[in-house]
Amino acid sequence: MAATAAAVITRPIAPEQASLWSDAWRRLRRNRLALAGVIYLTFVLIIALVAIVWTPYSTFRVGVGIPYSGPSSQHWFGVDGLGRDTLSRLMAGAQVSLIVGVGTQVLVLAIGVPIGLAAGYFRGLFDQVVSFLINLFYGIPDLLVALILVFLLGPSLTNIIIAIAVTRWMDMARLVRGQTLSLREREFVEAARAAGAKPAKILVGHILPNALGPIIIQATFGIPAAILFEAFLSFLGLGVPPPTPTWGGMAAEGIVTIRISPAMVIAPSIALSLTLMAFNFLGDGLRDALDPRGRR
Amino acid sequence: MPSPILKVKDLQTQFLTHDGIVKAVDGVSFDLYPGESLGIVGESGSGKSITALSILRLVPDPGRVVSGKVLFHDKDLLQISDEEIREIRGRDIAMIFQDPQSSLNPVLRTGFQVDEAMLAHGKSKAEARSRTIELLNKVRIPAAASRYKDFPHQLSGGMRQRAMIAMGLANAPAILIADEPTTALDVTVQAQILELLTDLNRELGTAIVMITHNMGVVAGLCSRVIVMYAGQIVEQGPVDQIFENPQHPYTWSLLKSIPRVDALRHERLRSIEGIAPDLLHPPSGCRFHPRCPFRVEKCFTDEPLLQEVAPGQVAACWVTMERARKEMGADELVDIRPGAASGVHPGEII
Repeated sequence: MAATAAAVITRPIAPEQASLWSDAWRRLRRNRLALAGVIYLTFVLIIALVAIVWTPYSTFRVGVGIPYSGPSSQHWFGVDGLGRDTLSRLMAGAQVSLIVGVGTQVLVLAIGVPIGLAAGYFRGLFDQVVSFLINLFYGIPDLLVALILVFLLGPSLTNIIIAIAVTRWMDMARLVRGQTLSLREREFVEAARAAGAKPAKILVGHILPNALGPIIIQATFGIPAAILFEAFLSFLGLGVPPPTPTWGGMAAEGIVTIRISPAMVIAPSIALSLTLMAFNFLGDGLRDALDPRGRR
Repeated sequence: MPSPILKVKDLQTQFLTHDGIVKAVDGVSFDLYPGESLGIVGESGSGKSITALSILRLVPDPGRVVSGKVLFHDKDLLQISDEEIREIRGRDIAMIFQDPQSSLNPVLRTGFQVDEAMLAHGKSKAEARSRTIELLNKVRIPAAASRYKDFPHQLSGGMRQRAMIAMGLANAPAILIADEPTTALDVTVQAQILELLTDLNRELGTAIVMITHNMGVVAGLCSRVIVMYAGQIVEQGPVDQIFENPQHPYTWSLLKSIPRVDALRHERLRSIEGIAPDLLHPPSGCRFHPRCPFRVEKCFTDEPLLQEVAPGQVAACWVTMERARKEMGADELVDIRPGAASGVHPGEII
C-alpha cells in the first residue's frame, strides 16, 4: 500500500514525451493487419523454440504412422511417405525458415549498411566501384549465383544463408547509399562537421539514425524474400540437405504423391504462405508507422 | 589595439560549374580582433556565407578555396591537415547556422547534441552533461534540465536557435561565426537572440562574426562592419561611422533601403535598382557600376581598390559619397536609376 502511494507521488506531472520509436510503435499497434502479423510471427517463433526441446513425435524417426495417411487424431497433419509425422516436421521446419530469413538479413545488414554509408558519404572512386558492383549483381540472375555458391560451398544451412545474402545485399546497399546521399546534404550534418565531428561519428551518430526507418522496413521485407528463396532452393533439392526438415523440402517430397496424400504438400505450403504474408503485413505496417508524413 | 586573432588574406573561393568558374569570393581580406563583434553584410549571393565556410574549410562541392590565407594564431587554416582543422572546428572556431530547425538532428535528443560538441573534443560524458545543462541555462532556455531530454521538434524555433548557440559555445571558442542566425525566426525572437549574443559577447569575450543581410542586426550587435558585393569587400569600418557616413554608393543605397520609423511621410523607401550581378560573368571595372547612380567613365573599365576614406574606414569606389554629395547632390536625389546622378550611361562612353 505504501509502495503504491509512493509510486503515485513520484510519477511526473508532465506526460511522458513520446520518442520517435514509441510513437511508431503506437501507430503500428493501430494497424490491424500488422498486429495480426506480429501475433502470428510470435506464434511461429514460439513453435520453433518449442520444437528444439519437444515435438509430438521425433522429427527423423520413420514409421511412426502409416505412410501417406491423412490427418488423424494421432497425426494432425498426416504422415509422409517414410511414415514421419508431418506436424513434428513442420514445427522443426519453422526453425530453418526463421533462421534462414533472419540470418540472411543480419548478413545483408552487415554487408549493405557499411558499404552503402561509405559509398554515399565519401563518394568518389569507392562509390563508383560499389555502384558498379551493385549493377553487376543485379545483372546476374540471383538463382544462378545462389546455385553456383551452393555447389562451391556445399549445401548446408550456413552456406545457404551466405548464398542468399550474396544475392540480396545490393538492395540494402543501394537503399542506404541513397539515404546517405540525401542526408549528407542536410544542414545538421554540416553543423556537426562545423562542430568538429569525425566522419565516422557523423555516419554512425547522425546519418545512420536518420536512415534507420527505411533500413528496418527493407530488412523486414527482405526476411520473407529470403525464406521464399530458401524454400525454392529446397524444393529444387538444393536447399538444406535431408533429413533436416524444411518447408520447401517437405512440399517437394509431397508433390509426387499429391493425389494420394495432399496434406503433405498443403501443410508446409500453408505454413510458408502464412509466414510470408505475416512478414509482408508487418513490413507494410512498419512503413506506415515509420513514415513521418503519415502521422496520425 | 591588440593583435588580431584571425587574419583573412586575399581569400579566393571558386565554384567550378558546367558553365564556367564562379568566383564566389574574390580577394577578401580582413582582420578579426579578440572579443569584437564584426558584421558581414551583403545581398544573397554576395559571398558572405561562402567566406565564413571558407574559413573553416566547409565549402560544399564543387567549391574550392583556390588561394589566400586564413591565419588563426599565425597558423594557416587552409594549409593544416584535415585532422587539425577538425580539432579547430567547434573548439576554437564554432559556427551556427541560419535555420535551427534543420541544423539540429531530428532523431537525437537536444541535450545529447550539445554534449556531442564537447565529446568531439575530448571531454568526458559526465563533464559534458553537467556543462550542457549549465549552457542551456546560460542561453536562457527555461527548465533547462528537463529540456535536455527533448527532441528538437518539441522545442520552439527560438529555443532551437538557443540550443544551437549553446552547442556553439560548448567548448568556449575564441570565435563564433553566426550565419544569419535570426533570419528564420520571428521578429520578437530575433531581438531576444541578438540580445543573448550581445551579452555572451560581452560576458565571455567570444569574438563574433555576424553574417547577415540585415543592417538592423549589424547596428544592434556589431562594432565593426564589412559590406560585401559580388564576392568582394566594398566597404569596411566602424559601425557608427559607416551608418553615419557611408562612402560606397552600395552601402549608401543599402542604408537608404531600410524603413525608418522617424522618416518623413513624403520620403520614399528606396530599393536598389537592378539585380545582383551574375558571378559567372561579373561586370568589368567596378562590379557595382551597372546599378550605381553616381558612376563615372572610369567605373566601367577600372576596378577600384579599397582605400582609406576616413580613419579606420576603407571603401572601394572611384567616386565615394563625399564627392557624390558635393558634386551630384546625392542627398536630394530622387531618381536613383543607374547613372542618373552622374549622367553617365553606357551608350555615351563608347
